[in-house]
Amino acid sequence: MQPTNENIRQLMEMLDNPDAYTEQEIRDIINSDEETRATYRMMVEAKRSSRHRHAERHTDVDAAWQRFCEGPLAAAHPEAQHNSQHSINKFQFRKIAASFIGVLLVSGIAFAAIHIVRQYQQAEAMQAANTTVVNTSSFAQRSPLSGDTVTVKPVIYDNIPLEKMLPEIAAHYDVKVTFANDEARQLRFRFVWNPQQDIDQVVSDLNQFKHLTVTLKDNKITVK
Amino acid sequence: MLEHRILEQLFRQNYSKMIHLAGVLLGDDEEAEDVVQDIFLRVADSDIPPRDDRYLMTAVRNACLNRIRQMQLHDRVKGLMSIDDEMDLQPVDKRLERLDDIAAYVDEQLGEPHCSIFHLRFDEDLTMAEIARRLGLNPNTAYKYLIQGIQRVRNHFKNVTI
Repeated sequence: MQPTNENIRQLMEMLDNPDAYTEQEIRDIINSDEETRATYRMMVEAKRSSRHRHAERHTDVDAAWQRFCEGPLAAAHPEAQHNSQHSINKFQFRKIAASFIGVLLVSGIAFAAIHIVRQYQQAEAMQAANTTVVNTSSFAQRSPLSGDTVTVKPVIYDNIPLEKMLPEIAAHYDVKVTFANDEARQLRFRFVWNPQQDIDQVVSDLNQFKHLTVTLKDNKITVK
Repeated sequence: MLEHRILEQLFRQNYSKMIHLAGVLLGDDEEAEDVVQDIFLRVADSDIPPRDDRYLMTAVRNACLNRIRQMQLHDRVKGLMSIDDEMDLQPVDKRLERLDDIAAYVDEQLGEPHCSIFHLRFDEDLTMAEIARRLGLNPNTAYKYLIQGIQRVRNHFKNVTI
């Protein structure tokens, strides 16, 4: 029996050129002793660690969904093809619609601000019961969550830290928020929240952002 | 068949992390996509959606380990894949955390030239002769450093099941 270091050295040589060895020789080398076997396992783990670190973090989920619908799903369930196409078109339409809504909202906010200022100047004492307070330092438009008579409009969070934005959204659905990843607290991006959407859809929309993984379980949103 | 809207929602919510895990385990983008698509086909065929995303991640891990088992031994060692059946009962997120920990240990604790040799071997898949040439080292010295580096990582993480 060879000393362990020699076995490990033999393992390294084999891994440089496995084709020079038979299957039995490969197995014998890897299993020559416990240390060598453990060294190979560690190398497997090191390789996974390298792939994990260098994997492309941004995945084009739209394209992947389209490939899935047009490939395996269409082959297995041809009847689903119509739905898939409809859904892809619907998703793309929603993206365009979201941009359009964004433009409308900005115009609406500007109009509302002018209107409010004029009203204020004309009659300080008069206060409209359903006037929405615009707080630009927080976010572009706060939804009238508690207003009974006001239509619920989308809320735009623009460059607001996730740790501020998410608890506000979660409160609407009466769910809790936990940050498993502290770095995620300070993530900032533009997010349009429609309070009329269900919480699953909101979580799904949030998961479209790079570097953000959000899960919903047992009435708790976890940010990873 | 599962309602199409629910299937799409599950897909959009979980695809990124599923494809990442499959890529880490298989080291091949096409194979990884194949595995994840197979899982969503199974989900599509069922009437009830999976209880949570952990189910989907576990399904990815199991499907990848099955594919690795079916590969030729030579291909497995070339891709540095497990050759024995892995008794892998750790939650997937813990496993990924561990991979992060290994990368951090190598960069922060291993020191030179061990760290560079480690990266050249596992990131760039260079042979020991190529590493020795790249760093201007004697091949025996390069072997020695790589083995030392692996042993130090092993010792550091030995209390955690591989």
